[in-house]
Amino acid sequence: MGLLSRTTTFVRYSVEGELPGNFWEFAAERIAKFSFRDIDDTFDEYSIGWVSIDNMFDSSFAHASYAVGDYIVLSMRIDERKVSKTLLQKYSRKEEERIKKEKEIPRLNRSHRVQIKEDIRLQLVKKSLPVPAVYDLCWNLANNTVLFFSTATKAQSVLEDFFKECFGLTIILQVPYLTAVHLLDLPGQERLQDLHPAILV
Amino acid sequence: MDLVDIISEKKFLGQEFLTWLWYKSEERGGSVFLPGTGDIQLVFEKHMLLESGEGESLEQLVCRGLQTELQEARTGLLMGKKLEQARIYLAKGDYEWRLTFGATLFECRNVSLPRTISSNDEAADPLAWEAKVLERIGMSEEALQTMDELFRIFLQTRASADWPQELARLKSWIAKGAEN
Repeated sequence: MGLLSRTTTFVRYSVEGELPGNFWEFAAERIAKFSFRDIDDTFDEYSIGWVSIDNMFDSSFAHASYAVGDYIVLSMRIDERKVSKTLLQKYSRKEEERIKKEKEIPRLNRSHRVQIKEDIRLQLVKKSLPVPAVYDLCWNLANNTVLFFSTATKAQSVLEDFFKECFGLTIILQVPYLTAVHLLDLPGQERLQDLHPAILV
Repeated sequence: MDLVDIISEKKFLGQEFLTWLWYKSEERGGSVFLPGTGDIQLVFEKHMLLESGEGESLEQLVCRGLQTELQEARTGLLMGKKLEQARIYLAKGDYEWRLTFGATLFECRNVSLPRTISSNDEAADPLAWEAKVLERIGMSEEALQTMDELFRIFLQTRASADWPQELARLKSWIAKGAEN
């Protein structure tokens, strides 16, 4: 459902704050710094960064630039090693049983069980492969809006934090009320504040 | 007011807009006049989600169907529900879009963008690729800008002294729709 998919899905954000004067230099430096780093050959649990919208393996933008006209087009790639709750529970219980048998004790205290669970989680994380997710975005520099090609609230929340971390700029989801503020003149905006739900029947 | 409060307290604004837009599209048989552009085609089709209440008392009604008159949805309006999501066919000039529009967050889902010559290109060379990307961005933005323009028309009436008359017409359309 990305920008280049046959059908697409998107929401709009506004970008708050002034862009730096030497914007393209600033953008090049920030995008390079926050480009995606692969974790396939490490034991890292999580990685997030920018890649080309044309190819999720292109984090140096060798094949396609992020600068397209007056837009910056990027994909936010997130790789994450996940462990299912059922697996974690199974192997934690198995380890608990092993220890109880070994030490010949009827039960383990809570802190010991928490420690076992965390150890098992780390072991399982190392065995699992990173699962990738890619979300496209397009930043219109002329009117300082961003189209984000996902309606998943978790992805939106990650984008809001990551965009701020990367560019130092806050983005705000343009829900109807905020869109209305942009569309109306000052007297209209004042009247807007006093509106209450209408009964349509 | 933070964004969460704005979304919950002003949710009615998007839902009333989408409900009003359904009325506007049927008022002139699927044509809506946009100042500066002229008539555009706007038809509500196939899929609708209506809502009433909030929190634990939230009630939702989903209506689907290819050849239906969306009678259940019209009855839903008469029961006090408002439109939360609708599948819309939009034609402006030579271009056609189909999209599912979400009222509370102004989300565009499953948007089928207009077919253009470069849409079919493999876009192997960088210039063709760039043209294709720009065109898809332009078409996505155009759909949103059209919804913005329609929203502006709604707001200008909703926040004016003309609203009681428009509301009366909207109520009459809702009452008539449920009778048929």
